[in-house]
Amino acid sequence: MRLHWLELVLFSTYAELRAERARSYLGFLWWIIEPAMNMATYYLVFAVVLKTGQADYVPFLLVGLTFWQWFKSGVSHGGQSIWQQLPLIRQVRLPLQVFPSVQILADTVKFAFILALLVAILWASGYKPNATYVALIPVLLIELVFTAAAAYVVGAMMPFVPDLRFVIEQVLQVVMFLSGVVFSLDSIPPAARRWFELNPIVELIDAARDILMYARWPDWWALGRVSLISLALFALGTWLIQHYTPRYVKLPT
Amino acid sequence: MSVPLIELDHVGVAFNAQLHVGAPKFWALEDVNLSLPRGARLGVVGRNGAGKSTLLRTLAGILAPDRGRIRRGNVSCQLLSLALGFVPYLSGRDNAILSGLMLGLRRRQIQSRLPAILEFSELGDFFEQPVSSYSTGMFTRLGFSVAMQVEPDVLLIDEVLAVGDTEFQKKSGAALRERIHNGTTVVFVSHADAQVHAICDQALWIEHGRSVMQGPVDTVLAAYHAAAPVAEAAQ
Repeated sequence: MRLHWLELVLFSTYAELRAERARSYLGFLWWIIEPAMNMATYYLVFAVVLKTGQADYVPFLLVGLTFWQWFKSGVSHGGQSIWQQLPLIRQVRLPLQVFPSVQILADTVKFAFILALLVAILWASGYKPNATYVALIPVLLIELVFTAAAAYVVGAMMPFVPDLRFVIEQVLQVVMFLSGVVFSLDSIPPAARRWFELNPIVELIDAARDILMYARWPDWWALGRVSLISLALFALGTWLIQHYTPRYVKLPT
Repeated sequence: MSVPLIELDHVGVAFNAQLHVGAPKFWALEDVNLSLPRGARLGVVGRNGAGKSTLLRTLAGILAPDRGRIRRGNVSCQLLSLALGFVPYLSGRDNAILSGLMLGLRRRQIQSRLPAILEFSELGDFFEQPVSSYSTGMFTRLGFSVAMQVEPDVLLIDEVLAVGDTEFQKKSGAALRERIHNGTTVVFVSHADAQVHAICDQALWIEHGRSVMQGPVDTVLAAYHAAAPVAEAAQ
């Protein structure tokens, strides 16, 4: 992308966050409150009511949810963005990757707040900072690429099948349970687990838990595999958007 | 005559009439030929639904032809769009920057033009307020002031020549006319003969998505009006 479009993405992200803050009474406090309420809900249901009794369950759940929500909100907001911006797309020529990228960056800024909060909670509960924190950098970068990739692919399709937006939330819900966010995947037989591990989110959340909870270095081979999958999907998503751009403007209003 | 900036050769543009699978196509442009020399001021005339706006968006590069060929030199073509991409909750200043970026300006270019935008739009302190608090007139003034900062090689204008209340209409009309007569290549779509006469040095007549005639303004307008009853009956 040319430098000029990068300027547009950055300024639009600022505009998006600013407009979002102005739209509610509590403003950007919601960036913390909303995910915190969400986490509290899962905590109540799975830790208190269902007594999911594994050791370290609360940090296990919080790390999983934090990294999951970032991906989920990026895909669901980014996936709708091209469809939502069709009126604008009919008036001006822009590289359309701009629109999902803005949504993902805005969600990344919000994620940064929650990640800081998560780390503070972990420290307070005795999970001390350690040298493996360095490995968070590649983990976060890979998750960013994978989120963008998924959002591009969904975003490329949405203008043709706007009905997708009703389906996508449900699909994401299912993927969440298959990603070991709430339940550990350890109980799954190894043969089946190989299939689960094709899902990059599984490996990314595993890596985050290794680092934040157990001071363990992540499985580099798994991360390598996941980054290849992410880059391939990112290339596909970019190609789809570029390939279909001439057709979006010819869709009925 | 030098090589034309843009040339359309039997161009057709089709839209999907409906979203569902197998829906028929609708040809908004059937067969258009056009040649736009550098510095030309071309007026496009034709009845409602003849395809004038589709033609402009094709020239802008937003719509790609489904048949025929478009030859375009290395030139920027921009539709004059007011309030493009404006966000209600943002201040006039932020919207000016956002809109300018979308119209293809660099950040520092817009930054240096903000004083001019503020002055031309006559917004004063409102420039720092959210545009959702603006009156229609203020909104239009800001939109026009931002749009005028973009200086494309080919300016495409759809009907809009002057906007706002009476006072601002004079000012915006004058600014636009100055731009047009400053050697910018212009394509201007209009229903009003008088405006085409005042602005354009040649005209293109399109009918049902087909180009009928391109030539001097007087000749084309005369032929267009002579054919009017026939064409009206055909509709």
